[in-house]
Amino acid sequence: MTAKDDSPATGIVFNIQKYSVHDGPGIRTVVFLKGCPLRCDWCSNPESQAKRIQLAYNRGRCLGLSECVRCVEMCLSGAISRGEDDRIVIDRALCVECTRDCTSVCPSNALITYGGRRTVADVLRTVEQDSPFYARSGGGMTLSGGEPLLQADFALALLREARKRRIGAAVETCGHVDWNVLDEACALSRTLLFDLKHMDPARHEAGTGVSNALIIENFLRVMEHHPRLHVMVRTPVIPGFNDAEGDIAAILAFLAPYPRVEYHLLPYHRLGTQKYHFLGREAPMGEARLDEARMSGLLRLVAARGGGDA
Amino acid sequence: MRNPECCEVMTPHEQRLYDKMEGKEDRYRAGHRRVFTILESFEGLRPRIDVERARYFTRSMRVTEGQPLVLRWAKAMLHVAENITVYIDDHQLLAGRAGAQGRYGILYPELDGDFLGLAIEDLPKRTESPFTITPEDARVVVEEIAPFWKGRTYHEHLNMALPPEVHKLTYDDPDGLHSRFIVNETSSFRSSIQWVHDYEKVLRMGFGGLKQEALDKLATLDPLSPADNCEKRPFLEAVTIVCDAVITWARRHAALAREKAAAETSPARKAELLAMADICDRVPEHPARTFREAVQSQWFTQMFSRMEQKTGTIVSNGRMDQYFYPLYAKDMAEGTLTEDEALELIECMWVGMAQFIDLYISPTGGAFNEGYAHWEAVTVGGQTPEGSDATNDLTYLFLKSKREFPLHYPDLAARIHSRAPERYLWEVAETIKDGSGFPKLINDEEIIPLYVSKGATFEEAYDYAVSGCTEARMPNRDTYTSGGAYINFAAALEMVLYNGRMKKYGEADLGEHTGDPRGFKTWDDLWNAYVAQHTLFLKTAFMQQHIINNLRARHFAQPMGSTLHDLCMKHCLDLHTPQIPEGINLGYFEYIGYGTVVDSLAALKKVVFEDGALTMAQVIEALECNFEGREDVRQMLRNAPCYGNNDEYADAIARDIDRLSVEYGVRYSRDLGMHNDVRYVPFTSHVPFGKVVSATPNGRKAWTPLSDGSSASHGADVNGPTAVLLSNFHSKNYGQRARAARMVNLKFTPKCLEGDDGTQKLVSFIRTFCDLKLWHVQFNVINRETLLAAQRDPEKYRNLIVRIAGYSAYFVDLSPDLQNDLIARTEHGTM
Repeated sequence: MTAKDDSPATGIVFNIQKYSVHDGPGIRTVVFLKGCPLRCDWCSNPESQAKRIQLAYNRGRCLGLSECVRCVEMCLSGAISRGEDDRIVIDRALCVECTRDCTSVCPSNALITYGGRRTVADVLRTVEQDSPFYARSGGGMTLSGGEPLLQADFALALLREARKRRIGAAVETCGHVDWNVLDEACALSRTLLFDLKHMDPARHEAGTGVSNALIIENFLRVMEHHPRLHVMVRTPVIPGFNDAEGDIAAILAFLAPYPRVEYHLLPYHRLGTQKYHFLGREAPMGEARLDEARMSGLLRLVAARGGGDA
Repeated sequence: MRNPECCEVMTPHEQRLYDKMEGKEDRYRAGHRRVFTILESFEGLRPRIDVERARYFTRSMRVTEGQPLVLRWAKAMLHVAENITVYIDDHQLLAGRAGAQGRYGILYPELDGDFLGLAIEDLPKRTESPFTITPEDARVVVEEIAPFWKGRTYHEHLNMALPPEVHKLTYDDPDGLHSRFIVNETSSFRSSIQWVHDYEKVLRMGFGGLKQEALDKLATLDPLSPADNCEKRPFLEAVTIVCDAVITWARRHAALAREKAAAETSPARKAELLAMADICDRVPEHPARTFREAVQSQWFTQMFSRMEQKTGTIVSNGRMDQYFYPLYAKDMAEGTLTEDEALELIECMWVGMAQFIDLYISPTGGAFNEGYAHWEAVTVGGQTPEGSDATNDLTYLFLKSKREFPLHYPDLAARIHSRAPERYLWEVAETIKDGSGFPKLINDEEIIPLYVSKGATFEEAYDYAVSGCTEARMPNRDTYTSGGAYINFAAALEMVLYNGRMKKYGEADLGEHTGDPRGFKTWDDLWNAYVAQHTLFLKTAFMQQHIINNLRARHFAQPMGSTLHDLCMKHCLDLHTPQIPEGINLGYFEYIGYGTVVDSLAALKKVVFEDGALTMAQVIEALECNFEGREDVRQMLRNAPCYGNNDEYADAIARDIDRLSVEYGVRYSRDLGMHNDVRYVPFTSHVPFGKVVSATPNGRKAWTPLSDGSSASHGADVNGPTAVLLSNFHSKNYGQRARAARMVNLKFTPKCLEGDDGTQKLVSFIRTFCDLKLWHVQFNVINRETLLAAQRDPEKYRNLIVRIAGYSAYFVDLSPDLQNDLIARTEHGTM
């Protein structure tokens, strides 16, 4: 049987980030795939949620209509029009995928697209540039998103190609995915970064739009079928959602039978706020901030478990 | 207390600043009480100019005119040694200063004394690195020192010696008082480039032994040979005189120590002073027998070297963890020394270094070395002459001292090689994380093969010492001391845009006439025009260097430096002699504005000649109005591929530019009898060089700083630190040997180096740097917010140390220009 050539396969990627030191072992390159089955209010990468390519507008960078009207002239669908404050207005209902390239005429990169179609070969060529750093640090490629396994064929093709090139892979998943895909991804990876956000199904659904049933089930299957896989479980700590001691204690209790699993807390941050605005949305969390004392208490709780950070 | 809320993790260095603001005692003070007390005695004092060295040097030179220069120099040094005031500072364990107490600088009128009148008026007022001078000292300078040197200085002779076509790209006025900052000569603000003496020889033989060597040689001269009598004899006599000078100077300290001991009421201090007196009687005349004697002997030697000549950025300390180690190990084994005592002694040396300021009196020299910069590099780690790993207990002691002692002297340089022990890299990484920017890292895997290819033996190359900012020296094989040209290649680019002219210099016809760029049809037209201007600059620099190499030997000698050099002693030649048999002349010229030029050419290639989004006429129109009202053009240009992102589009241009320089060096270095190789290390000169260059096609506004070293343009490196290193790797021409140092600055937020995991990742990063055979890298671990806060409230942040271009400095000592430059650099953090 000859191996399938994965290199021409394509998918939608919205970012490739070099020198990532907080997403798996060693020095890594993170490949961000678009599309996510969850809709978390606190999402710090709102551009990752929709699977399609999206137009984004950074008002701060825009030179203003008095200096430049290139995008207005380029747009034929009527989605981009002149606003009142020397800035453009985007009617997203009218913005459809079209061949008019409003972003490339923008001199200041105020208009950009989130996401672009890329081949496996192209992505791996970029990832492989940092291979001298992976060799020394035990790092490699991390697939993230969104939910990378939502673009199942593309994600698995990336993992197969990485294996062919002997680049260590990690996958960061929300767990709400088809088990067959996750199973194969685990087989092709050295590290799995698995998010557990809440143990209570109703609370989980309220915060993310889906129940945690499939997530829990998938986690248990990973434990059973991939006994040698390096697994890091992570919980984003969100004010008002899971920042009570009981919330984290429940997750710790669930993980108790699996001492091989590393556990980390990720404190909520607001750095993604501006990206909501670029997409013409309001940030659902508003001005909410994580209480520092509360976070310190949770870190102590986790430290008592041993393994993981804190 | 917590830092401003935005900073999640503070470096220990930042934590100490906040502690200090809250009035808490420095957490290391208790363990280093003596040096903290000495430090506090001069911290924040404005440096003063001490004129004694210049005064006695001048008095002697006045009466020896006509004699061989090396002999005159030795006599002058003896006169200085016999007459200069000697000091022993309170609390100090080491004796030996080259001038007044507090922070001080000294004068070298033989070099650029024609600036003295101007400097005495100007130095107390200048915004960058001001100095004070007493009215009496000012009078001595104006009435005694300056008049003798008028018409005799090196700088005046060089100004007259440069042919018109070289002069016009070098100086801005007929007297050569102001630089054009185009093809800038640097030989007139330092008597020698950075240097390392063979201190091990002093410890092993003493100046008594070195003098005896000269006497023995004198006895074997052919009494009938005119060469022996006219050339070798004066040199050897100079050696004996200068050895006497060093010994005399040391003994005067012994006498002073006894005098002070007699008057001392504290029994403990009295005992210290008497012990110091015994040591100063013994060394550096005789070989050192103990660690204490070794440190004092080295200190006398380096301080005397400062009085002998102005070594650029001050003479470096060499491989201190190697040459001190045998006596350290012996004393530790015998129980006569503890680790704390050893630490205290070397820290007494660090505070001594901190008080001596590298004073530049010419405006150009001052602009080159902002923040009172000096780099007495102390080298640690690396390999032995046999090629084994060289780290030892002393290596770790120096790293510890750097973590615990809050001072940016000495400039600590850690050699890295492929088999460096994990503990060593771990401690290096932990020291970097401390946040003061030390140590800088220098790569054996690049330097050693390169030096072997240039004629060194493996033993010599393995034993190199870091010198000055980023250079590497083989103290008994290197023989090159002339300052090289700093070339503003962003000016070459500007001359392409304005057909040989520059906005700053109006109608002055400076460069090649490469035609009206609005008529350029293809990328090749543009590239060929750049090559023409680039080549003109190289030709100018090499002509300059040819003249400098030969002229300097008529103005400078260094009998003590020559005494310590095997080849000088063997051939009886002063180290400033242009050609010394068996020597290797490792010189360099500087490429200033690498990122600026690469990004500008890449932008024009892409936006004008490939995409056709702009015409050359549109670009030039926007540049001429400094992008006023043409922000759209500026943004289009800025968004083209940039160097520093591991982007082959820009890196290929970078490599081609590097090759132009390398190939010219290969072809014409032979004429100069040296390796004149391209280097990318700007000190702080990318700031003054930027001040003469108008807007550039990479979107840089007029008169703002150029990119520094081989780092990316400010803010242009958006792909993180791995991409910066890889761009450096891909832009080098590894097939050629005509290259010298490349400096890379990286700034990290503490967050991405947090904890043991962060240290481990930094260690991996350093190992990869070593694999990539890059010459140098240094890290700035600081939060941007801290820098901004320091800018708003300098008094509070007086002791904030930042890393700039090859050294660390007090942030508040820097001009607002340079502070902004630092803040503007891309911060590599991943949240």
